[in-house]
Amino acid sequence: MTLSERMLKIDRRIIFLVIGLCTLLPLLYPVGLPIRISPEVRSIYDYIESLPERSVFLLSIDFDPASKPELHPQAIALLRHAFRKNLRVVAMTLWVSGTGMADQLLTQVAQEVGKENGKDYVFLGWSPGGPAVIINMGQDLYTAFPNDYGGKATKGIPVLEGVQSLKDVTYAISLGAGNPGVEAWYVYGKDKYKFELGGGCTGVMAPGLYPLLRSGQLNGLIGGLRGAAEYESLVGQKGRAVAGMDAQSATHLAIIVLVAICNLFYFSLRQQQRRSRESH
Amino acid sequence: MDITILGAWMATGLTLFIFSFLYKDNPLFKLAEHLYVGVSVGYTIVKTCDSVVVNLIYKPIVEHGEIALLIPVAIGLLMLTRYVPKAAWMSRYAFAFIVGVGSGLAIPRTISSFILKQVEDTVRPLLSMAGGDGLTFSMNLFNPASNLNAIIILIGVSSVLFYFFFSIEHSGPGKVVARTGIVFLMIAFGAAFGYTVMARMSLLIGRLTDLIEFSDASYGRPTLWLAIATIGALFLLSRRSSSSPPQSE
Repeated sequence: MTLSERMLKIDRRIIFLVIGLCTLLPLLYPVGLPIRISPEVRSIYDYIESLPERSVFLLSIDFDPASKPELHPQAIALLRHAFRKNLRVVAMTLWVSGTGMADQLLTQVAQEVGKENGKDYVFLGWSPGGPAVIINMGQDLYTAFPNDYGGKATKGIPVLEGVQSLKDVTYAISLGAGNPGVEAWYVYGKDKYKFELGGGCTGVMAPGLYPLLRSGQLNGLIGGLRGAAEYESLVGQKGRAVAGMDAQSATHLAIIVLVAICNLFYFSLRQQQRRSRESH
Repeated sequence: MDITILGAWMATGLTLFIFSFLYKDNPLFKLAEHLYVGVSVGYTIVKTCDSVVVNLIYKPIVEHGEIALLIPVAIGLLMLTRYVPKAAWMSRYAFAFIVGVGSGLAIPRTISSFILKQVEDTVRPLLSMAGGDGLTFSMNLFNPASNLNAIIILIGVSSVLFYFFFSIEHSGPGKVVARTGIVFLMIAFGAAFGYTVMARMSLLIGRLTDLIEFSDASYGRPTLWLAIATIGALFLLSRRSSSSPPQSE
């Protein structure tokens, strides 16, 4: 068996080990590679920066713990920014499996910056219906969410003063890991009720959402852990996403090298087989 | 025991059990997999019952007397007639209602958002008007609205559409156009795959970050102890499977 044959039949667990080490070592010994801010992430940051104090900022946390590594850092960075700008934060989720996690992350960031539930922010929780909830909120927010996550009647909560429907929302961001998510918020929300919308999504979803960005249907897009790291850098509070960027770069490099080596051995083997056929 | 420490041990153990699949399929992985499915389903059922049955149906009807809610409840209950063969036909009314409302809501909005808006964005002027000076052509590749990008999009959309047009044989100039379409498709698939790799690596980074955090003495070093326990269990399982006699056919 030639070297090329042996390498092409290598035990895949060796590749797992290489990828594991390429991820683990930069996490243990970070290098701090520079992070370039992309225009799509900056436009969300700039838009939030331009909002006047006490504007209504709606954050739809449309993911569950399965997508936590990518979208949780995005949510934390966005909430820190919104609270720092003293916006009224209205959070909710369209994913029933994400309710507990969404409540935990909102409470954690609010406590960190000393914000008060009901006065500075509210978590509406989950309501059944998926995209229909968005339409319902566009007609009357209080019929879609008669109570907040804690069971308190939403009518009369100070943070919702003057907010009757989605038309009263200044800026909305959906952090989506699938359907319903960013697309549903555009289709049933922004396009119908005319509010400005930004999006955050997992890396898998990002290429599918770029056409919405270019056409102006979304005013910005935070894509995956990379987007979260960019937003953390903009907010100036580096967290888990920035810490993971060295590991991300190292694994990407390892995968590129593995793909190149694999191709090299493949073509070398093909050449050897052709030569042996010619000699026979 | 502090709930945070217990959570750290649980999370670490289940992560390592799932990772053990990378070595080979084993009972520890199966245990973690079944727990994940069970917990997810249980959590969803409890949350749905609490939010829908208690907060959106029971309380408004019983406490606030909103009798009109009985209509959607009745339509919803018709779904359950699927389990009674003689009355199963009644569930069609509920399905008809859902399909009708769903289509009515989705079709116009989807056409507007994903077809008309996207067509509008694709058909952009290839040259721009610049005040009184006349026409200009912007070459900036990094600006999505530049004229160069408008031309690239025009070529890409046309060639990919032609590639999927099977009524004409792809030969001569048609072959060149179809090949161009394939190149654009390959670039799109490559970009999508690149993002997928990034997403999967992000998930790995998330778990490894937690494992590093839980290797701290304040949690009782669950990463260290449970890694040793998992490797030991895998070793024992592998010994047991190799020493067991082959099953007769």
